[in-house]
Amino acid sequence: MVAIRIDELTKQFEAFTALAKLSLEVEQEEFVTLLGPSGCGKTTLLKLISGFLDPTEGTIHINGKDVTRTPPEARDTALCFQSYALFPHLTVRENLEFGPRQKRISAHDRKARVDDVAEKLSLHAQMDKLPNQLSGGQQQRVSLGRALVMRPSVILFDEPLSNLDAKLRDQVRIEIRRIQKEYGLTAIYVTHDQNEALAMSDRVVVLNGGRVEQIDTPEALYHAPKTRFVADFIGDANVFSGTVQGEVQPGLWRVETAMGTYDVATSTPPKEKDVDLCWRPESAVLGDAGHTGKVINRAFQGHFTDLMIETKGVSYRVQSRATSAQEGDTVNISIPPEQLILLERTA
Amino acid sequence: MSARKWLLIAALLTPGLGLILVLIGTVVYIAVAQSFGFYTITGESGFTTQFWSDMIGRKLFSRSINYSIYVGVLSAIFSVALAYPLALWLRKPFAGSMAIGAVLKAPLLIPGLVAAFLFINIISYNGIVNQLIQWLGFSDAPIRMQNDSNAIGVLILQTWKNLPFALLLLTGAVRGISDEVLDAARDLGAGTWARFSKVIAPLTVSGMQASLVIIFIGAVSDFSFQVIAGPTNLQSMSQLMVTFKDRGDWNSAAVVGVSLMMIALIGSALMAIGARLMLRRRLT
Ligand SMILES: Nc1ncnc2c1ncn2[C@@H]1O[C@H](COP(=O)(O)OP(=O)(O)OP(=O)(O)O)[C@@H](O)[C@H]1O
Ligand SMILES: [Mg+2]
Repeated sequence: MVAIRIDELTKQFEAFTALAKLSLEVEQEEFVTLLGPSGCGKTTLLKLISGFLDPTEGTIHINGKDVTRTPPEARDTALCFQSYALFPHLTVRENLEFGPRQKRISAHDRKARVDDVAEKLSLHAQMDKLPNQLSGGQQQRVSLGRALVMRPSVILFDEPLSNLDAKLRDQVRIEIRRIQKEYGLTAIYVTHDQNEALAMSDRVVVLNGGRVEQIDTPEALYHAPKTRFVADFIGDANVFSGTVQGEVQPGLWRVETAMGTYDVATSTPPKEKDVDLCWRPESAVLGDAGHTGKVINRAFQGHFTDLMIETKGVSYRVQSRATSAQEGDTVNISIPPEQLILLERTA
Repeated sequence: MSARKWLLIAALLTPGLGLILVLIGTVVYIAVAQSFGFYTITGESGFTTQFWSDMIGRKLFSRSINYSIYVGVLSAIFSVALAYPLALWLRKPFAGSMAIGAVLKAPLLIPGLVAAFLFINIISYNGIVNQLIQWLGFSDAPIRMQNDSNAIGVLILQTWKNLPFALLLLTGAVRGISDEVLDAARDLGAGTWARFSKVIAPLTVSGMQASLVIIFIGAVSDFSFQVIAGPTNLQSMSQLMVTFKDRGDWNSAAVVGVSLMMIALIGSALMAIGARLMLRRRLT
């Protein structure tokens, strides 16, 4: 069943369009991530869903009900604010209890919920402190907990882990998913950290300048990005402009680029002659065949080595697990046809 | 801190604080001394509790205390209650909000006595309010509104005069609350009243207390509004004090004055504590 349905949602601030005709469906209990650079409209979309902004156009349905004009306090959503927005006059416990009190949840239930969340977010030692006595990371966890205790049908997170150190971030990330699954919450999660998005999500919405670039599973986004923006934004990618020469074998297309010719295996024939060609640094094979290039930089990274290689004045990245190539060496690079991705050329 | 530093601080404070302390101290001392029979202007001086015991037995005195407290408490509450919605409304600047804010603060610039005369003229037997009522057909004969026995006139004037002051204090306090905090409360299901009582009021309690206390002290010792627009069968404490003084009874006037000071002090403490207690109970 569809939990959130967003149709052609547009938000304008005066003349500036923050979101343009965005459509999205989120299934019940699904965990969807909004990923995109700063200012692309992620917070704006969350505020539209929770009701703090009125859309210029379009509709929002939650659990089949049109809530486009419903005030925030009457929507079954909880938002975990990017700026924490804790109540400065209330202790951590009182902050966490605020929502359940408003919802008239019995004292016994309330305590159980609050203690549960405090335990999971390691906040029990801070319960009687005021927000200004907490570290940034602790405040962020209180803000997260305050949304989680609500157990709403839709929970919205605005970069809830941005202020945590790497270890705590991994731990809290796992807790968020566990709580979300345990209580069957539908979640929309905002981040600009692609690793976080890939690791946590059922699906990822990649936004750019208020528009959707691609909505897909993490695997599909990584292995089959549709646009140059997505290819660049998710993981590392080498992208070249190219021209399609023609089909050399069924399902194998020849593409001419500045650094040489590639054969690309694809089931969907390219629509245009002008395309962008993309491959991941780790799909390159260093060997005897392929394009010849010169190593211009080498960085050992532990379980792989990062090489910067130049061919015909074009430089690109290659990751290799076993290579002895040094700076200045000449190497041969080939890319398996099925590892090459054709992207639609965008303006 | 070294002794020299303390000396320096004391030296810096003396001109301001010293003057204030000397003046207040002298006034309080003279008033208290006079109420116990010293510094009698006419006749002999000497310690006596006669003036106090006489005064406490007087019906005039207790009625005047009740009446002054009534005016003081209600004026403070009305001013603050009306100032809050205005402060919240003016929290975010909008087209014309500066002008509205300025107009609302105008009463601060108009002398109370002038305002009281104006008010009396408007509500008088032949004033424009009565003319309007008759013209609209609500009543055939003019209604007597002047010097009403519930002191509604005085309360209106006090509220009118003090509201800008409360507004000034509360606007600053309310502007200090971030939008996101209010949004968070809303998101967690708090409607308008819950947002006010659980977030806005507790976060602005200092401004609220300051307004209540200062307005209470001003209104409890009201003289000019009472003389012009107040009920004729009741006297405020200031008025009573002046009455005694006019009779040449400085000692009784001092008894009323000292009582007024104590009421102002105790009353404002009670109002400040009351405001905080009420909010504390709401939270838990
Ligand atoms: N109230 C507003 N008035 C005018 N412009 C706004 C307003 N709120 C947001 N914007 C603009 O809309 C765009 C999207 O903002 P938004 O806060 O949604 O970005 P974001 O994707 O959350 O970025 P970040 O990752 O930095 O938090 C920005 O360019 C911002 O300047
Ligand atoms: Mg944001």
